[in-house]
Amino acid sequence: MTHEDTNAVGSEIIAIRDMHKWYGNFHALKDINLTVHLGEKIVVCGPSGSGKSTMIRCINRLEGHQKGTIHVDGIELHEDMRNIDIVRQEVGMVFQHFNLFPHMTVLENLTAGPMWVKKLPRAEAEDTARRYLERVKISEQAEKYPSQLSGGQQQRVAIARSLCMEPKVLLFDEPTSALDPEMVSEVLETMEDLAGTGVTMVCVTHEMGFAKAVADRVVFMDEGRIIESGEPVEFFKNPESERTKKFLDQILS
Amino acid sequence: MLYADTVRNRSLSEQPVLIAIIFAVSCVVFALVGLHHTLLALPFLPQPEEHGLVTQGIATLVVAGLFTLNILLISRLRLRLQIFVVWAELFMCFLIFFFAFDLNFPFILTKLPFLLTQGVFTTLYVSAISITIATVLAIFGAIAKLSSNGFAFAIASFYTSMFRGLPLLVQIYLIYLGLPQLGIFVDAVPAGVIALSLCYGAYMTEIFRAGIMSIDKGQWEAARSIGFKFGLTMRRVILPQAVPIIVPPLGNQFIAMLKDSSLVSVLGVWELMYLARTLGQREFRHLEMLLTVAIIYWVMTIVFEIVQGRIESYFQKHHRR
Amino acid sequence: MNTFKKLAAVAVALTMSAGALQAGDVLDKVMADGVLRISTDPAWPPQSFLDENNEMDGFDVDVARAIAAKLGVEAAFVTPDWSLITAGNWAGRWDISVGSMTPTKERAEVLSFPAIYYYVPASVAVHNDSDAQAHSDLNGRTIGVSAASTWEQYLRHDLVIDAVGVPEFDYEIDPGEIKTYGTDIPVIDELRLGDGVRINAMIGSLPNFLDAIKNGYPIRVLGEPLFFEPLAVAVDLGDEEFSAKVGEIVEALREDGTLAELSEKWYDFDFANTN
Repeated sequence: MTHEDTNAVGSEIIAIRDMHKWYGNFHALKDINLTVHLGEKIVVCGPSGSGKSTMIRCINRLEGHQKGTIHVDGIELHEDMRNIDIVRQEVGMVFQHFNLFPHMTVLENLTAGPMWVKKLPRAEAEDTARRYLERVKISEQAEKYPSQLSGGQQQRVAIARSLCMEPKVLLFDEPTSALDPEMVSEVLETMEDLAGTGVTMVCVTHEMGFAKAVADRVVFMDEGRIIESGEPVEFFKNPESERTKKFLDQILS
Repeated sequence: MLYADTVRNRSLSEQPVLIAIIFAVSCVVFALVGLHHTLLALPFLPQPEEHGLVTQGIATLVVAGLFTLNILLISRLRLRLQIFVVWAELFMCFLIFFFAFDLNFPFILTKLPFLLTQGVFTTLYVSAISITIATVLAIFGAIAKLSSNGFAFAIASFYTSMFRGLPLLVQIYLIYLGLPQLGIFVDAVPAGVIALSLCYGAYMTEIFRAGIMSIDKGQWEAARSIGFKFGLTMRRVILPQAVPIIVPPLGNQFIAMLKDSSLVSVLGVWELMYLARTLGQREFRHLEMLLTVAIIYWVMTIVFEIVQGRIESYFQKHHRR
Repeated sequence: MNTFKKLAAVAVALTMSAGALQAGDVLDKVMADGVLRISTDPAWPPQSFLDENNEMDGFDVDVARAIAAKLGVEAAFVTPDWSLITAGNWAGRWDISVGSMTPTKERAEVLSFPAIYYYVPASVAVHNDSDAQAHSDLNGRTIGVSAASTWEQYLRHDLVIDAVGVPEFDYEIDPGEIKTYGTDIPVIDELRLGDGVRINAMIGSLPNFLDAIKNGYPIRVLGEPLFFEPLAVAVDLGDEEFSAKVGEIVEALREDGTLAELSEKWYDFDFANTN
């Protein structure tokens, strides 16, 4: 409970307590404690293999944990739960490799969730979809297939797809690491834009510029543990641990 | 098509040694086959009884020469024309083979309407019903085989093992003879359809399984993360992507089914193959019937191949990755 | 095996619907439906085949129609594979087989043979080019025959015909190699290729050979018939009443000359009576 309670914006939406995860004998996540409040923007960073992706994949239970608890909007996640799809509707996710549905047009990608999961009428779903396409600035590509778009455009479609479910939380799993360098900025701009709307975000990323500009809190992980967390200004200026310092030196130089 | 290189292969006409080898090999082959026995030599050898070594030799050289020239000319054509000409020539060879039997064509003509209305009709509807049921079985079989439910996996793997393991003919007999012993009476056509469906369902289970497994797990995760449950993910995300992958092997199964449906003729179903074996018996014209039916099967297969090609190009256009 | 049979019997008794036949079952059903369902395989001209109009015709078919007429019911034909007919346990799919079946001991275990309706001479055929003059000339040669037939049993010196009124016979040939085929027709085609190309001779039914020769096959019949094969109608086990009724009808057809007449029509010879 040491690394929280800063910048409380709203009520608790994600609460991870004493959480552990193993892959077989490999202890992937150790004693994770993290609370996210509504409206907060959290950036999770750390060297590769530090467990940051695994941790956010636990939040919508794409991965299961073995010890401790995770609560999302008051619902506890565990393997016997019957309503995981309800939690997943509340938690949008943007993947490193976009994972758009290649056999659907952009518009169909966006309306799939609202129409088939939320059972909205097509017209309403398409309205919502076009609104979010506009927000990510690719409304003219609605009828194209994902393979006809650039990587940056695909990632923006993926962001719009999760927005269409109107989730309470958005998780970003290294959303820019698979992109060509010239496309990174368009995705980051979209994300910064989004941050301005007050949505809750948890982003795993190495983009420290984005962290400085947007984050309420930066969480640093290494070897499956949360080493430290804090406001970005403090975090970048006076990191507490040696490991954080070393990491920041490497990544910022 | 294979992934073509950007460097052109040398054409045949630029390789005189290869041409000489083709000529020499065809000389040897034609000499060994003995052209004086075949239709090919007839134009060169007016009197079959008189062929001495010299005439034989000349015939061999002429035919081998023409053969080599033919290959040389074809090799210079454009790709499309080349494919067409080779097809046409191979088909000509088949026709010569066909006519060599000295068939009675009026007889074939009198039987053709019955072969088409009774035989082709029965073959097609038995195959169509069976392949439809088999497809449904295969989808469930594949899902069960991929599931973590021991019950479902055990049933599905037992099913595929058994129905791929037993000869189709045995399955047909078992269902036709065995089910009445259990008090379930099935007629000949339903028994045949059940056997064909079960057997092909088992083969196609493996095809569907491979198709489903070939879809990236990111697709599952993306579907889950917007709240799709299993059935929805399968129906809307996984199967639509698996289908283009499994169309070619599925087309194979359709074609194989078309011909394997002839096995139900043992139950006395008057499909194409049954008629082929019985229609010509009285007049001792079974070769006529067998060859006619052979061509009918082939034509049906070609139609299927065209349909399969259309479906494949449809998916290529509409479902790019 | 016995336990298994008992278990099977129990299972059959339990399920009832396709249960064992009782006396009168088949006869009642035939009379009630007004239809006698006859199995015969139209791959055996001239006994049974499809005519120019693609309908069932032949000696067996005519005999079957005559039996149905005597019963006062319609004749309907089904065409299951021969192996399904001889396997027994018809489950009521058809009522009777009029398919030139030899009443062997093995078959009598699963089927009942109410009556023999004709005797067909089993003969030897050779290609026209063959130099064979007597049956003994074929000793050590390759002979073709349709598989699991009485002709094959004859060639293997293993033929038992336990039916009444069958003339005595001797084994006149010691074949070198026996080649077996699905039916008669492929064997005749093998013989047509020439003497010794695939086979030197074949054994089959005399009427069949005469038919082939009439259709221009380059073969000839060698010597006298080897033996006379009795051919019977068959019914499923269980309904003795029906079996007896069929027996009566066939005898009546023999006495009133119908069988002889039909035999003359198809074979130009009376095979219905041996003497």
